[in-house]
Amino acid sequence: MTPLIETHGLVKEFARGDIRVLALRGISVSIERGEFVAIVGKSGSGKSTFMNILGCLDRPSEGKFVLEGQDVARLSKDERAELRGQKIGFVFQAFNLIPRTSAQENVELPLIYSGASRAEQARRARESLERLGLGGRTEHHPSQLSGGEQQRVAIARALVNHPQLLLADEPTGNLDTRTSLEIMKILMQLNRAEGLTVILVTHEPEIAAFADRVLTFKDGEIVSDEMGSSGEGVLPASLLGEKEGKDS
Amino acid sequence: MKFLRMTLVAALRALRRNKMRSALTILGIVIGVAAVITTVGLGQGASEAVQSQIRSLGTNLLVVVPGTRTRGGAHSGWGGASTLSVMDARALEREATGIRAVSYIRRGSAQVLYGNSNWRTTIQATTPSYLDVSDSAMAQGDFFDERDMKNGARVAVLGGTLVGQLFEVGEDPIGAVLRIKEASFRVIGVLESKGGSSFGSDRDDLLLVPFTTGERRILGATLPGVVEQIIVSARTETSAHEASLEIEDILRQRHRIRPDQENDFTVHSQEEIANTMGSVTRILSSVLMGVASISLLVGGIGIMNILLVSVIERTREIGIRMAVGAKGSHILVQFLVEAMILSMIGGIIGIILGLVGTQVIAHFAEIPFVFSPGAIVGAVLFSGSVGIFFGFYPARKASNLDPIASLRYE
Ligand SMILES: Nc1ncnc2c1ncn2[C@@H]1O[C@H](COP(=O)(O)OP(=O)(O)OP(=O)(O)O)[C@@H](O)[C@H]1O
Ligand SMILES: [Mg+2]
Repeated sequence: MTPLIETHGLVKEFARGDIRVLALRGISVSIERGEFVAIVGKSGSGKSTFMNILGCLDRPSEGKFVLEGQDVARLSKDERAELRGQKIGFVFQAFNLIPRTSAQENVELPLIYSGASRAEQARRARESLERLGLGGRTEHHPSQLSGGEQQRVAIARALVNHPQLLLADEPTGNLDTRTSLEIMKILMQLNRAEGLTVILVTHEPEIAAFADRVLTFKDGEIVSDEMGSSGEGVLPASLLGEKEGKDS
Repeated sequence: MKFLRMTLVAALRALRRNKMRSALTILGIVIGVAAVITTVGLGQGASEAVQSQIRSLGTNLLVVVPGTRTRGGAHSGWGGASTLSVMDARALEREATGIRAVSYIRRGSAQVLYGNSNWRTTIQATTPSYLDVSDSAMAQGDFFDERDMKNGARVAVLGGTLVGQLFEVGEDPIGAVLRIKEASFRVIGVLESKGGSSFGSDRDDLLLVPFTTGERRILGATLPGVVEQIIVSARTETSAHEASLEIEDILRQRHRIRPDQENDFTVHSQEEIANTMGSVTRILSSVLMGVASISLLVGGIGIMNILLVSVIERTREIGIRMAVGAKGSHILVQFLVEAMILSMIGGIIGIILGLVGTQVIAHFAEIPFVFSPGAIVGAVLFSGSVGIFFGFYPARKASNLDPIASLRYE
């Protein structure tokens, strides 16, 4: 079976006036379904740029990106939008919920564009929120929710269309340690229990330790690709139990 | 379809988030549409009023007045002896074949006394044929006849306004004796009201006397036989033009005007009067229409402005929508729908206000209220297209945003 993601020599160049910045200098990597990948690296090393290409929000200047055997570079703008709506869920550092709009409506958003009926939208959004323990917060606006709750709404939104791939660019960057661990626990459960492929960018080793595989970026290149510690020694025992159960 | 309904819901939600701003934007459109509806309505009402007044002057009517027509349509040439006479009128009656009847008039104003009442009115000296030529009718009594004319009888026919001024309600004016310039006149008839006022002049405020009597007793006979207007009734409406050419021929001959000289008189036709009045009201209403359209334009620019602000303000929202699967067309439609909702709501309120305004103004200006469904359909479509037209640029701008840049936008 083809891997979920395959990239071949991805190059991304930004032109800022006369200055050219090579954000990615030939990234070749393959990610299988069900993997939990963390991307680490110094600021400006090209992590977000890489994530944007994986999320079909941006296109590489050179190289090939194949998602489920499909060459994304060949797709039109609209086809990429459709792909984002159907196969990819995004979680951002800044939560990116629409202000003055209820959690329910925020989660319904992807369904509007994939053409679900009104009743189905409401039902699936509610289910998704309940799954993240937000059943009692459906009518709250983002400003009425804590950071952790907002990020959970964002995850509920990312999952509402049952995507194959969850892309999270520093999902815990704006959260305290305790809430960060809570969010990571949720992501790990999704990965373990439902086989969702998760790729996340982080600066914190404790967060990266949750992943099976850690890609280290430096100056637009991958300098190391290792199997992770799978969270040992970092996670509370209660969380590890589930994880080890699946590994064995 | 499902998407459209969803978009409608989303658009309404977005507009509700900024109630004050949406309301002010709508107000701009309301004023524009109301102004257009009102001016169109009043313009139609005014031209209707003018047309019906002209019709009421009597069909087939030709009026000959002394003086040359100047380019602006005004007259000059009153200097020296007036150029039209009773003899001219008689000649037309005799010689012109396309003419059914001829009358002529001279006018002046005088104080009319009856008992303790008195009233200054227009005295019109004319012929018995005037009744027929001017398409008037008697409300009471009779018009004077050829015998009264020949004898210079001191008889008078009154207009409705004059009756109201001189007599008590219920008092019979027929047979009453009035005094005008030391002479006594017996009332023999009352004209049926012409109704309405023609640009401020009351057409029922007058007193008619036989031409001979008027000339001798009231208006003065320094220039006997001189008339102010010759009024001609053509045989048919279609022959009015030929009749006017005939009149011109006959009068040029009588006045010994050489071929290279201009007429010393002017023939006005009913059609010409109608056209002049029609074009005056048309010009007036299109000027007003233009002003009104400008206000609608300003309303449209208001929509565009608000949407541009809204696009910038919601850049991040647009980025989020794109990240979760919105296509450019989805974003475009969303903003267009918002623009259309604003302009349609404004349009509908504007139409209602416009119709009410038209009715109120029409009532006070005493012009008929013309209800035109065409103008309403037009205004709805127009305001909708104002929304699309002015909403398109901001919507395009929104749909072309780059998702990554939008997501980063602060
Ligand atoms: N739109 C852009 N235009 C110009 N240069 C850009 C653009 N986006 C990113 N870059 C540059 O590309 C390089 C990589 O940026 P990127 O955002 O991928 O880094 P990062 O690894 O995510 O950093 P951080 O950890 O701070 O988020 C940086 O040097 C950045 O300045
Ligand atoms: Mg980054």
